[in-house]
Amino acid sequence: MIGPTEVLNTIWIGIIYMIIALPLTLSYKVTRIINFVHINFITIGAYVGVILFLLGVNSLLLVIPASFLFGAAIAVLNHFIAFSPLEKRGANPVILMIASLGLWIFYKYVVYAFLDLGQKVFRTNLFSVIPRATSLPDVSVGGYVLSGHFFAAILVAGVILGVLYLLLSKTSVGRAIRAVADNPTLAEISGIPKERVVSITWALCGGMAAVGGLLWAVFAIATPEVGDALILQIFAVSVIGGLESLLWTGIGAFIISGAENILMSLLNAVLGVPVSFRPFISFSALLLIILVKPPLGAGGGLPYRFKIVRHYKR
Amino acid sequence: MLGFDVIGFLISWLTLFGTYAILSMSLNLEIGFTGMADFGKVAFYGIGAYLAATITAFTFLFVNGIKCPLHSVEAIVALKECASKNPALNVSIFVLCILITFIITGAIGYLISYPTLRVGPAFLGITVLSFGELLRIFMRHFEPTGGTKGLAGIPHPLAWIPDPRLRDGIYAAIVLVVMLLTYLLSEKIANSPFGRLMRTVRDDEIATLCLGKHVPRIKAAVFFLASGLAGIAGVLLAYYLGSVNPDMFVPAVTFNVWAMVIFGGMGNNKGALIGSAIITFVDRISFVVNLLFPQAIISPDYIRWMIVGLLILITLLFKPQGLMPETPIKTLALTAVAEESGGEENA
Repeated sequence: MIGPTEVLNTIWIGIIYMIIALPLTLSYKVTRIINFVHINFITIGAYVGVILFLLGVNSLLLVIPASFLFGAAIAVLNHFIAFSPLEKRGANPVILMIASLGLWIFYKYVVYAFLDLGQKVFRTNLFSVIPRATSLPDVSVGGYVLSGHFFAAILVAGVILGVLYLLLSKTSVGRAIRAVADNPTLAEISGIPKERVVSITWALCGGMAAVGGLLWAVFAIATPEVGDALILQIFAVSVIGGLESLLWTGIGAFIISGAENILMSLLNAVLGVPVSFRPFISFSALLLIILVKPPLGAGGGLPYRFKIVRHYKR
Repeated sequence: MLGFDVIGFLISWLTLFGTYAILSMSLNLEIGFTGMADFGKVAFYGIGAYLAATITAFTFLFVNGIKCPLHSVEAIVALKECASKNPALNVSIFVLCILITFIITGAIGYLISYPTLRVGPAFLGITVLSFGELLRIFMRHFEPTGGTKGLAGIPHPLAWIPDPRLRDGIYAAIVLVVMLLTYLLSEKIANSPFGRLMRTVRDDEIATLCLGKHVPRIKAAVFFLASGLAGIAGVLLAYYLGSVNPDMFVPAVTFNVWAMVIFGGMGNNKGALIGSAIITFVDRISFVVNLLFPQAIISPDYIRWMIVGLLILITLLFKPQGLMPETPIKTLALTAVAEESGGEENA
């Protein structure tokens, strides 16, 4: 039933979902783009770690900033290559979303091609690796051996979330970001350099997602599909936040990871539902949220409430 | 070049082209005319293929009184034996499958679209995309349809024709006929009053609402139709390949269809046809190249997918209307007016 394993899994998976889903919500708030390249940030962040570990860099303190910078660089590049020109031409949200879809495919297979090359250079299987920083000792608590990575991840996540909170609430950059998120036109009129704020947001979001991917890979496994495998959960988490509230996105991360671990093991024990049904829980959560607490107006659409529009007949 | 089989190449290209053209026209109905971003085309394609495979295999085993699981080796052997016994059965099941699949995939599409259409266009994309992935993961673990191995040995509707070349040729012709029917249907719809309604929804939802139209209902109707058509494409694919497995229905298929529609021109059925013809041709060529250079440093497959991604982006950036821009709606009155004014200009 519910043992310490499920609880621990809920905690660390929840933390990682949070680190990945928060930037998705934040970037949507600021730019109004449903960004599918987010998935690539995860994969690329994970593989920056893998390659650096292979090259002999063993410290997470070096690897995490590296993967942050890489993710940030790609996010800013996307903004200047694709999103900014399209927005200037007045493309609607759907077109921007399709552009991000194109970029997603492109980066996905760039990663594949890169790994194909890398495999010939490093002579190891790069298509499924578990990056491990050997410098971290394991800790045993009450008979349970906890990997040192567990604490490292919690620490890293805590630092990132703390910095994000301070940045958004206490600094002038954070105020500018929030202003652009609330009303881009008003922000621009007030003299906020919108273009620069949007690039800073992209850098922040890309970097955070990449670090999230790295932490995920350190725990689980790095494959070229690692980001794609997380789409459903990450979007479900962001939709719990209504693509609007960072607080609810954070809570949603734990709701989804709890549903996937604790609820799944309960269902498995009581009703005998096979574990392979796990993605269905996230999917039904997604549909349930859309039905019960729809993030109205998000995604550039007209808000329709679920009530019948009556056509009065004479 | 090693006795390259031109006719075989053409037949396989035409069959693939027909299947993908149906898919891209159905996507065109959604994104080109109604403005719904359906990122889960592959889900309905896959449902169609699996339905056809399951129904056909089950019926053949049932009619011939063989009792074994659908995915077992005995079933594949038995299906191979009884495939060419009864031509009427083959053909009638083929027609029946197309009808059943259209209704079932359409209904599933309608159900999925019901909650999501009312929230915002982005959510349809996210939900349907994850729905496709979810189905694929589910089918990988679902034993009655063979898990990761899928179903094989599905009797071809024309299995009673002894010559395989002739059989494939006729099947390609059937696929092209279905494609033509789809084309005529979507042209008819696009130029009907409902087609104009679809374009209003795409261009201005608020205006449509103010005219007293029920926008989600219009979108749901289009989604039903497009999902059903995608299901038919899946049926055609399942019979062509004779086998289905979950890994045929990865999200990459959806991207391919998107590239076709965007490259060909959103809102123009001819554009969708041309886009799918070009991309499936490149697809087939790259398959041949793949066979010729098995030891390439980077697999040509990855390069092809990168090109597909870049194609979407570059088309959107530099030529957003695609190869064939959207044309004005043809109605009887408009054509008559155009002819009259054209005549006056000449005079």
